[in-house]
Amino acid sequence: MISFSKVVDRALTGPICSERDFELRIFVPAVRQVVKKYDIRYAPQNPVPADDGLADRVWEAGVELLCETGVYCPDTERRIVFSRDELDAALQVGPRGVIFGEGSDAKAVPRRVPEDVTPPWCSVGAGGGPVSTEQNLVSLVKAYAENPLGDSITAPSLSKVDGRLVVAGSPLEIEGAIRTMVLTREALRRAGRPGMPIVNAVSSAVRAAGHIAGHRFGIRPTDALEIGSVHEMKVDFDSLNKVAYSLANGSLIYGENGVILGGLAGGPAGTAVVTAAYNLVDSLVLRAAVQHPFPTHFDLRTTSTRDTIWVRSLANQAVSRNSPLPIVNIGYAGAGPMTKQVLYEFSAWVIGCVVSGGSIEVGGSAKGVVVDHTSPVEPLFASEVAHAVAGMGRKEANGIVNALLEKYEDNLRDPPKGQRYQDCFDVETGVPSEEFVELYQAVKGEMMDQFGLQFKPISVYP
Amino acid sequence: MANDSIYDQLKVGVIEADTERLLAMIDDALRQDLEPIDIVEKGLTPGMREIGEMFRRYEVYLPEMMMAAETWEQAMQVLDPRIAASTGDRRAVGRVVIGTVKDDIHSLGKNIVITMLKASGFEVLDLGIDVAASTFAIKAEEVDADVIAVSALMTTTMPQQRDVIEHLEARGVRDKFYVLVGGGVTTQGWADEIGADGYGETAGDAVALALDAVAEKAKGSGK
Repeated sequence: MISFSKVVDRALTGPICSERDFELRIFVPAVRQVVKKYDIRYAPQNPVPADDGLADRVWEAGVELLCETGVYCPDTERRIVFSRDELDAALQVGPRGVIFGEGSDAKAVPRRVPEDVTPPWCSVGAGGGPVSTEQNLVSLVKAYAENPLGDSITAPSLSKVDGRLVVAGSPLEIEGAIRTMVLTREALRRAGRPGMPIVNAVSSAVRAAGHIAGHRFGIRPTDALEIGSVHEMKVDFDSLNKVAYSLANGSLIYGENGVILGGLAGGPAGTAVVTAAYNLVDSLVLRAAVQHPFPTHFDLRTTSTRDTIWVRSLANQAVSRNSPLPIVNIGYAGAGPMTKQVLYEFSAWVIGCVVSGGSIEVGGSAKGVVVDHTSPVEPLFASEVAHAVAGMGRKEANGIVNALLEKYEDNLRDPPKGQRYQDCFDVETGVPSEEFVELYQAVKGEMMDQFGLQFKPISVYP
Repeated sequence: MANDSIYDQLKVGVIEADTERLLAMIDDALRQDLEPIDIVEKGLTPGMREIGEMFRRYEVYLPEMMMAAETWEQAMQVLDPRIAASTGDRRAVGRVVIGTVKDDIHSLGKNIVITMLKASGFEVLDLGIDVAASTFAIKAEEVDADVIAVSALMTTTMPQQRDVIEHLEARGVRDKFYVLVGGGVTTQGWADEIGADGYGETAGDAVALALDAVAEKAKGSGK
């Protein structure tokens, strides 16, 4: 595989191109061309497709797309271009079986395939969703970590430091990054899982400086930094700086790509192809140990719409059948905590991903943007569902996902926001209200009675 | 060919973003002595409105919108000087200055709003991403904007939206502009808290608010 320094060289010396020309003259036509050539068509009645030939065509289309477009660097207005041989080499020698975490919590992210019985990796937490107080952050992370099916933590982000809103690029961002790191590590200790890996370190940091600051205060080489690409098929210097630092430090990286369905990738077919292509970008450019996708609907701003579930399922199948780099899917629900809808939404896309060869990260309730609208119940429920459907056939999963979509699809325009953590949990003890436990048990009962799911007896909220 | 048919074909030319064909059709239309202003108002503008509607119905996506807008802009380069020569300035619906706040590099939502604003007849000055708060104020004054649209995607960049309003206040020009905020993490509550005039959860909301704002201004009862 070509070295990172060669990638940087190409960012500095590759073919010149304006951003507008990259978008409209190179990227968009290339997406359209491969979608047509490989005959990739969205089938709304099958949010979880079961067609291996289609999955492989999506992969081929993604590889061809990346060969054609390269990756755009807005800072230099140049394209980082790869040959087909270089892409193939990345598949041959890219990372495999990387272990995250320490001590009794050390574990490899599994490479899964469609309908695999191997339990998926379950990353549990807030997906960077904002919380207002340090007490909420510690209480939440401790409760997330007490989920025995949780393999890693995706921490919330502090929206305020000492009562002041965290401002990107300011010293408050540095302090927020450090404090989030210190408090998350402390919460894991309190949960008795000090070695549990934090995979969105550093959640309160935007710029490379914040990441590096957080790193100095508790991030370990077996945690992961989330490093993202820019919409679409672009990577800027700030992301490359984070990669440079992480490589020098021996740290692990989650390569994050949130392709916007309805954005430059176009509709569901193009979005699936671009999501698959990012697997190679994550490997070659972001030097990731895991692909971390979240295709998001441009208008409804969630990952639980019918078309984004189709994109996810298909892209997971395409990648898991063709690439060694495992996928841990992150997702956002429109609804918030203590609503039935949030559990339906998470279940739907989690099932689609798990039976398609992926692992999961839950979650961003209330789109991951409403302060304090996150709770430990959503990731717990999602991880229980994820384990229950490992090994399930895609056709059966498709039926379940269709039935779940019927329960919430019409409410995505104006989803119920739910309750704040401090309103549905006792923050001091980390215990949910009786009403919340009843709701959780009721939806679990629906999943067993209506769909025949069998849950592991983990008894967190019996 | 009846004029209505010509206007229909111009409309289709915009929707299909076939720039070469559209420019040829415009050339033909001008040779047939159609008024440039009619070509715009009866052909091109309905085309942009239609593609905006198709976008709202998920029948087309951002690439089709951007390409139609680009085709429209090239057509206007031909028509604007002729309109100015014959009837004086072609007045856009309104003028919007838009950008993503400092330290925020997200552009997609902003670009969707820009395209939909153009589809609705607005003249738009795109300041891009990572824009300093003072730049919004300075540019809005420079181009005599009606609306300043400020995008932020992250909780940590949201405070920059308040900075834009404070810069406008510091320059003594706050009341000259309708300030519209939006972006992934913003809410109506946040807009109210920082004293913005409007909050657009979706691109469609943003356009509707901008249209209302310029209508109010035209009536003389607004800003």
